[in-house]
Amino acid sequence: MITPEPTGPASSQPSSSSLFEVLACPPEGYCEAFASPGTPRPHWQPLIAALEAMSPQVLANRQDRVRRRRHEDGATFNLFDDPAGRATPWALDVMPLLVTAAEWAALEAGLLQRARVMEKILADVYGPQRLLREGHLPPALLFANPRFLRPCHGIQPVGKRFLTFYAADLYRDARGRFRVLRDYGANPCGLGYALENRIAISRVFPELYHKAQIRRLAPFFQTFHQATLQRAALPREEPGIVLLTPGPESRIYFEHALLSRYLGYPLVEGQDLTVRNGKVFLKKLAGLEPVEAIFRHTADAFSDPFALRRGTTAGVAGLIQASREQSVDVINPIGSGFADTPALAVFLPALYRQLAGEDLLLENHPSWWCGTPDGLDHALSNISQLTVEPAMDPSGAPDRETDLRAAIQANPHAFLAREPLRPATAPAWGPNRAEARFTLMRVFVCATAEGFAVMPGGLAITATDVGTLTGDLPEQQQSKDVWVLSDQPVVPFSLMGGLHEVAEFSRGSDLPSRVADHLLWLGRYLERSEGRVRRLRAVFRRLSGETRASDIPELPFLLNLLVAEGALPGTLREGEILPRYRELSAQLQEALYNQDRPESVVAVLARVREAARNVRDRLSLDSWRVINRLESFADAQADDPLELLDDTLFTLSAFSGLAMESMTRGLGWRFMDMGRRVERAMNQTRLIRIGLPRACTASRSALEALLEVSDSIMTYRSRYRTAFQLAPVLDLLLADETNPKSLAFQLSQLASHVENLPGRGSRRFAAPEERLALEMLTAVRLLDLTDVACPGNRDPHDDLAEFLERMAAHLIQFAQQISAHFLSRVPATPHFSMGPGGRQP
Amino acid sequence: MKYRVCHKTTYRYAEPASLSQNELYLLPRETGTQKVIESGLSILPQPQYLHRRTDYFGNNVHIFMVQHPHRELAVTATSLVETTCPATPAPEQTPSWESVVQQLAAHADPATLEPCQFVFASPLIELTDGTRDYAHTSFPPGRPLLAGALDLMARIFTEFTYDKGATTVDTSVDQVLTNRKGVCQDFAHLAIGGLRSLGLAARYVSGYLETTPPPGKPKLTGADASHAWVSLFVPGHGWIDLDPTNNLIPGEAHITVAWGRDYGDVTPVKGVVMGGGAHTLSVTVDVKKQV
Repeated sequence: MITPEPTGPASSQPSSSSLFEVLACPPEGYCEAFASPGTPRPHWQPLIAALEAMSPQVLANRQDRVRRRRHEDGATFNLFDDPAGRATPWALDVMPLLVTAAEWAALEAGLLQRARVMEKILADVYGPQRLLREGHLPPALLFANPRFLRPCHGIQPVGKRFLTFYAADLYRDARGRFRVLRDYGANPCGLGYALENRIAISRVFPELYHKAQIRRLAPFFQTFHQATLQRAALPREEPGIVLLTPGPESRIYFEHALLSRYLGYPLVEGQDLTVRNGKVFLKKLAGLEPVEAIFRHTADAFSDPFALRRGTTAGVAGLIQASREQSVDVINPIGSGFADTPALAVFLPALYRQLAGEDLLLENHPSWWCGTPDGLDHALSNISQLTVEPAMDPSGAPDRETDLRAAIQANPHAFLAREPLRPATAPAWGPNRAEARFTLMRVFVCATAEGFAVMPGGLAITATDVGTLTGDLPEQQQSKDVWVLSDQPVVPFSLMGGLHEVAEFSRGSDLPSRVADHLLWLGRYLERSEGRVRRLRAVFRRLSGETRASDIPELPFLLNLLVAEGALPGTLREGEILPRYRELSAQLQEALYNQDRPESVVAVLARVREAARNVRDRLSLDSWRVINRLESFADAQADDPLELLDDTLFTLSAFSGLAMESMTRGLGWRFMDMGRRVERAMNQTRLIRIGLPRACTASRSALEALLEVSDSIMTYRSRYRTAFQLAPVLDLLLADETNPKSLAFQLSQLASHVENLPGRGSRRFAAPEERLALEMLTAVRLLDLTDVACPGNRDPHDDLAEFLERMAAHLIQFAQQISAHFLSRVPATPHFSMGPGGRQP
Repeated sequence: MKYRVCHKTTYRYAEPASLSQNELYLLPRETGTQKVIESGLSILPQPQYLHRRTDYFGNNVHIFMVQHPHRELAVTATSLVETTCPATPAPEQTPSWESVVQQLAAHADPATLEPCQFVFASPLIELTDGTRDYAHTSFPPGRPLLAGALDLMARIFTEFTYDKGATTVDTSVDQVLTNRKGVCQDFAHLAIGGLRSLGLAARYVSGYLETTPPPGKPKLTGADASHAWVSLFVPGHGWIDLDPTNNLIPGEAHITVAWGRDYGDVTPVKGVVMGGGAHTLSVTVDVKKQV
């Protein structure tokens, strides 16, 4: 085995070793890394040498780190529906794809041309339609094309830019020339993954990344942002730009959240936006805030349920009308999905000659549209050597079972015949060595004041077979970082600068109502899961000892508490005989792992993650990484539940700490903390209500258990230094405003939160939630615990029990009041009407 | 003939609706045989936003928004139009249907470019074996285009039953073909689907019929609400209307509001409402001859 130089210029010696020696490129395709077997291309030599210098074990470790990071960053989709739903769209391979400076320069020139001609076509199709009238575009390409949106005709986009963000899939043909396989106009995806790949790879191979002269991606994002500001003449400070996502159900929601954070554009869903007077607004707690630009990640058809696909709740009803009014810059303008029409590419070379008087530098993948007589002829005479794809409507894929020839003849314009794709292969990390994978490269272009700019890099997509490579299941494909090599030293640019802050769309400290709602519930579920875990831990701790269950005096109290919370079934009454050990153990297992029981730990944790997912752009990357660890709870089914509960509690605390820590003390933090306080106050009230009768009969152990599940033992000991007694314990848990676990503490926090919610300054009277908070706080402050002693004949707890019940009712009212006042003011569910009577008689 | 048309649509909501956006295709367009003397909209409550434009097909569209809570929304469109009888060529003198199909497919001259947009399937009208087979019976080889279309219209009129309860807005053309029942919209969609399946250009027309027929004439179906029919492109003559619900070529008593590929392009009133809960809808149409 040769040990190659880890550094220095490319060696001219052919290098071969265990890592790459068996790498076999298919003979009919271009091989990215090797000129011939065993001889790396010059620009690959340093990388191959460096990789060879690492042991396969090291590479495997780094690949694993990349995989883990992806998972922890939540680059997965379907996190909650599918227990095995760990599939990552475009899982990242550690080996980057290299492109030389010269090759890139040629590619860049070709892409700029293509973006220009695409924009001209869009401007014409949605404007004067000269190309159609003069015969350069066939009528069917518009009139039979669902991607041509008639409601968008005549709209003059902001800055007269019809295409502001464009992407193309490229591959290398057998001779190594780049060709275009597909174009993306409406809402190209993959930009966020390209960014994530770069961040991950530059961390996994810092030495390689910094030594090689690799063009940086950050300037492209700056260009994108600057151009957006300039186009809509937006202020540099607090421009009204949002990133519109279909929501957490999207497979690539990860990308939306990442881009939102990176670009500093708040992540919004359709229901967060509303159109008034032909303008777009973001619904926030204090009212509506104008939106001037939308980086749209919704498909054309799902961008405006009013004008386009009715009945969906994605998109913003009236967005097209707002575009028509030129009051909002949509990136890209709705309707630009026309550029995605597969058959359109066939016409580009001629159109470019027509529009610019020169030839396109980048060629298409050889394709024939059956809508022209020549194309139809070619397709039918060579049908066995061609693949046939839908020419316009993606849903119109030809059915293999039907007679293809007949289908084409019946509807020729619907089909596009293409030469079978033989893309190049690039090395990728296999289980323990490099393997050849088919490779595409998605590249991104954005509009600038002068024209367009190409991102020097991209998303390389790889697969072991061509069908998967060109299919539309990104979770079956892998991806790579694309390294565009530079002849000159590159200016270092930090990619991470923007990633640590949450994009806050604010002129003032306001928050979208939907986000506030999710944060409130995140706070509640976090508190609920922590409490649940604490109580179950207390039970398991006791059961794990040698004492018989029936000899643990506080066990019935703890179990009762879990029953009251709905975590255990049935009712346990005072003095009732404990269930048999085996039965109890089975029930506790259910309380941990049964997903169908809404109050089991696993179910509450799922709600924590769900709520977190909905506000993912608000959470720091670190806290998001922590929360993804909770996912392992379901599969753990540990032998030792205690250890699992300890770990879970630790993770939850870490998450709460990070989430609260990384949030500014703004409204988001306030709503999340309010959720936590409400839930904890409810828990505490319930705890004492149930614990009280027991506290006297089995005083010491029950009091200790009370303190333990309230996480207040340490506080008690440091404060009272006495044995556990009823009055001091109750005082600490209920009335002590300095104990962060006490009811009084929660109530005083709530009272201070409601004072700081928006809209208070304009009212003369206290809002209902303010009155409730104050009333509860006053009640707990006036609570007299001196009388509470263990009962003689009459029950001295009556007053306290009554107080606790009143408190429980008030807390529920309070939570409802907050929702009614701040979170559901603007109904978000649209109803669609079509009249008269839905049809014409 | 002069007509005054009044088309009133009222929504009543169970709970206050906070935001209502609507799109209206209610004010008639001008045509070669129709002059619009005056037309206007009255919307209650007063919308905060009202925008008028001409759509891709040349129709009058209004978009309006009511942005404060309301329990009732009433839209009244009134117009005064003057119609004349279109000149219809002798059916047997029109070109053979195959030659028209070829002409459209070649779209060599600008005059056939406009009809080209009505040759293809559209969101509510699928072109299937069923629609083609049904239409084909009326178009034996060499038959003059209009003669075939009149035959198709007559067959729909006799072979299908007018039945308000038989279909909904989601009923497909193929289902109508199977059930042989429907309303004017279904018959129009069926005729259009059949004609397009053959490669001909046909569009959907939304409009009204005179409410009270002339003395001694029967009241036509579809007179109390908005009506719909078909228009066929005949080279050399332009567009010729056909009303399969009544089996006739529309004359002065048909008032055109708008046309498009299908009902979805020219729905008279459609909207999105936030809040409002359950709603009830009432529609009245009154078309009076002016003397």
